[in-house]
Amino acid sequence: MVKRLKKLVFKLYVIGLMAFTVWYGYFMFPLIFGFEGKEEAAASFKKGDKENTKEAQMFAKLISEQTQRKQTDLGYRLIDQPYMEGRFHHIGFNIQKDNASICVQCHGNVPHDQSKDIRSFLNMHTFYLACETCHSLPEKDSQAWSFRWYDKETGEIANNPKDLIKIEDLYASKETKRQYPVYGNYGAKIAPGYEQSGEIKFLHGNNEMAFTERYKTEQELLTPEKKSQMKRIIHRKVSKKPVQCKQCHQEKKPYVPFAELGYPPTRIRELTTVGAVGMIEKYKTFYMPALLKPGGLEIDE
Amino acid sequence: MSKYDPIVYKDGKRLFYRFSAHQRVQHVVLFSSVLLLAITGFPLRHAEEAWAKPLYNMMGGTEYAPLIHRAAGTVLLGLFVYHTIYWMVKFYQNQICKLKRENRLTPWNIVKEFFSQEMVPNKKDLVDIVHLWKYLLYFTNRPPRHERMSWREKFDYFAPYWGIPILGPAGVALWWRDELSHIMPGIVLNAAYIMHTDEALLAVLFLFFVHWYNVHYAPEKFPAAKVWLTGYLTEDEMIHEHYADYVKVMIAAGLEEEIKPQHFAGERYGW
Amino acid sequence: MHYMYLPGLFFYLAGVITLTGVNVNPVMANELNCMMCHKHRGLSRIDEKGEFRLFYINNELFDSGPHRRNKCSDCHKDIDRIPHEPAKKVDCTQQCHVIEPSGKKKFSHKNIAKTLASSVHGKLDDEGKEKPHQSDFPGCKDCHDQPLYRPISVFKGVAKHGVSARSISRCKSCHTSGNFAEDFYEHVTSRLHKTRFSKEIIEVCAKCHQDSEFRKRHDLDDVITSYKQTFHGKMVELGSERTPDCLDCHVVEGENNHLIEAKTVATSSTHPSNVGNTCRASDCHKNASAELASFQTHVTYDREKYPLQFYMLVGFKALMAIVLYFFLTLIFLELLRRLFPRFAFFKDNQPHHKNTRPKDQ
Repeated sequence: MVKRLKKLVFKLYVIGLMAFTVWYGYFMFPLIFGFEGKEEAAASFKKGDKENTKEAQMFAKLISEQTQRKQTDLGYRLIDQPYMEGRFHHIGFNIQKDNASICVQCHGNVPHDQSKDIRSFLNMHTFYLACETCHSLPEKDSQAWSFRWYDKETGEIANNPKDLIKIEDLYASKETKRQYPVYGNYGAKIAPGYEQSGEIKFLHGNNEMAFTERYKTEQELLTPEKKSQMKRIIHRKVSKKPVQCKQCHQEKKPYVPFAELGYPPTRIRELTTVGAVGMIEKYKTFYMPALLKPGGLEIDE
Repeated sequence: MSKYDPIVYKDGKRLFYRFSAHQRVQHVVLFSSVLLLAITGFPLRHAEEAWAKPLYNMMGGTEYAPLIHRAAGTVLLGLFVYHTIYWMVKFYQNQICKLKRENRLTPWNIVKEFFSQEMVPNKKDLVDIVHLWKYLLYFTNRPPRHERMSWREKFDYFAPYWGIPILGPAGVALWWRDELSHIMPGIVLNAAYIMHTDEALLAVLFLFFVHWYNVHYAPEKFPAAKVWLTGYLTEDEMIHEHYADYVKVMIAAGLEEEIKPQHFAGERYGW
Repeated sequence: MHYMYLPGLFFYLAGVITLTGVNVNPVMANELNCMMCHKHRGLSRIDEKGEFRLFYINNELFDSGPHRRNKCSDCHKDIDRIPHEPAKKVDCTQQCHVIEPSGKKKFSHKNIAKTLASSVHGKLDDEGKEKPHQSDFPGCKDCHDQPLYRPISVFKGVAKHGVSARSISRCKSCHTSGNFAEDFYEHVTSRLHKTRFSKEIIEVCAKCHQDSEFRKRHDLDDVITSYKQTFHGKMVELGSERTPDCLDCHVVEGENNHLIEAKTVATSSTHPSNVGNTCRASDCHKNASAELASFQTHVTYDREKYPLQFYMLVGFKALMAIVLYFFLTLIFLELLRRLFPRFAFFKDNQPHHKNTRPKDQ
């Protein structure tokens, strides 16, 4: 018995070693025959490429840039950031993917495009507000939404971000010269939910995500009518008129309860009074520089 | 002649002498400097690979790894010279003196003795290679019977003898490039660069597979052969690898009746 | 880093700056309160061409470079109100509000632009005609992003990265107001070594010079790949700051880094008559003879251009292939043989030495 087992082990070992030999031959091949200096497949996007249309070039460029990063080594510090062709100023952070949002799956995180004056501002909000915070309102008779932060990674309810308090501390501190508040990089977003047996359930929870993903994988098989039908179902919770700027940026009972969500007083003041509100009300005629100094922290007061 | 007995007994088992302590120490110096050279050289050769930088930093980074590399290279070159002197002295002591004693010291005899040294390839090796292929291709079921040094071991032995003369001077030229530029043009460095990097690749690929197969991976050796430490082979190893020598040594020791039959492909290894 | 020579140079420069009476009042970027909006990370849109435009300004990183003494509007001159129209392209050669201390004039990058124009990267040829493929010739932003300081500190002859309290305290004991000491400390020490890490320089040049279409248009070799195969390139790849990058060899020692010239130009560092001196620059192979210059850096292993290297490489590859695959086959067959130890077409069932001795020995 033992002898037979030994024999089996021996045979297996020999076969394994044979496999290793073959692998080694395969592994050596590029080392031996790869001509020195494999040219890195740097595709060309510059204008000289006449065969491609501009759009095709753009597409290729976007796809190739996707994973490109730029590292700047200062010796005492390494700045690792996404690479953006033609950008002069440093970004210094990674745009975190929102895994929990259904809308972002198709619309991306830079969805606002229509109003020329405020599109960038609206896009800025996607950093810390889920789409449904503004684009989905509770029906008339049902209970009002409750707002909570959710983790961009997991989609689960998250604690109020500590960074908000840090900003507050920075405001209070006198040693602010070389310290910079971190706005918006909380790893979490505010989203509406409703109460169910003592727990808050997000609108985007339950089966919604599975729904969207199913649609995305199977849309090729759907007839055009079915596609429209499905889209209607997916978008059923989207309100015609979104929440308006002033509904949140007002002192009296803002639509999103900033205080409950962990915003410290100074930041709330900034959001609901001078800074943001002034901006909103006057964005068309506002031409007076330096008027809008919020109580906020600036580098050189 | 030799202070080592060709056959010794340990725990009732026969052991066959192969390497003297002096040779074993040389081997240790050889492989430690080669390993050091490899791990301080290959991260540089493949600098763009992900593993290169961490390994290089572990070896002292761009500041110290080159120093280690050069130090190890110096040791290896030193060993090369030392070993050459070593076998020359041995050759003088064993062969030339013998010829002198026997009063046969003619140039032709010296040449003959030179080629009969145990590491020099000979006709038997050619026979063994042919036999091995016959064996590998199932034309015979009997493996070749090697003498004291099989042709593979001779190849292993001469690999450094061709590798170091290529790698060493090229390495020295790259190291002392500024000084040597006064006696040779810069394009020599281009040649030295290719010689150094490609011969190193050959050496390392060979060592890490072929040599390590012979002494580590092969089923009867796994996980490692012990001869480099003890200097002795077991009887089974002797029968398996050097049957012709085994028979010779046994007869010389007056043990002809106890000679065991040659066995096939590791079947006697208790597998 | 071995900057044994640094302390002296540093104090010399520091002295020069103090004596010339630099007095720049650091004005921060923010007097228009641009950061009220631009501090937000998600401030972005997709523009008409389909480009993603991120308008976020990382205040901290902005403050880590020489431009921190500029207001936003120093460069973005077209912006004078909030909210504003899409900003125009910045002209780096315009004057800004910083006073250049040596000439007491408003600062501008005009000189750099002039140097660049006279280099191989300039858009016009000697006769003032436009070179073909105009869009391939770089402007400032093609090579530079927002510059960052890379200060160093020296203590007892050992240099390390960053500002140390030990170093700057000497400045701050006299220059107490504002950020004067910090600004000038970082400004000067960043210039005592390479202001950009060598690997980043390679990446900058690679943006164009590794682009295959670009090389075809201008009939250029893949100098980046060939550089990366050299000892210089590999050491840089592994993080060395002591081996040369593109600029170290392609700019004459002591010249402005923007003056890279074609090797056909007599004053170029790579002109055949100058290569020797370029290699023997004071910080490099200074003990070498000019013969070192016959070393070929950008070897492409092209049979016609580099026959020596080509045939050596082919020779080594052949040798490697023969030796290694011979032994590999041998080992494979031997392993296979072990699985069928007794099988053979012609049996030799006389394993004992006695029976075969006469034949074998």
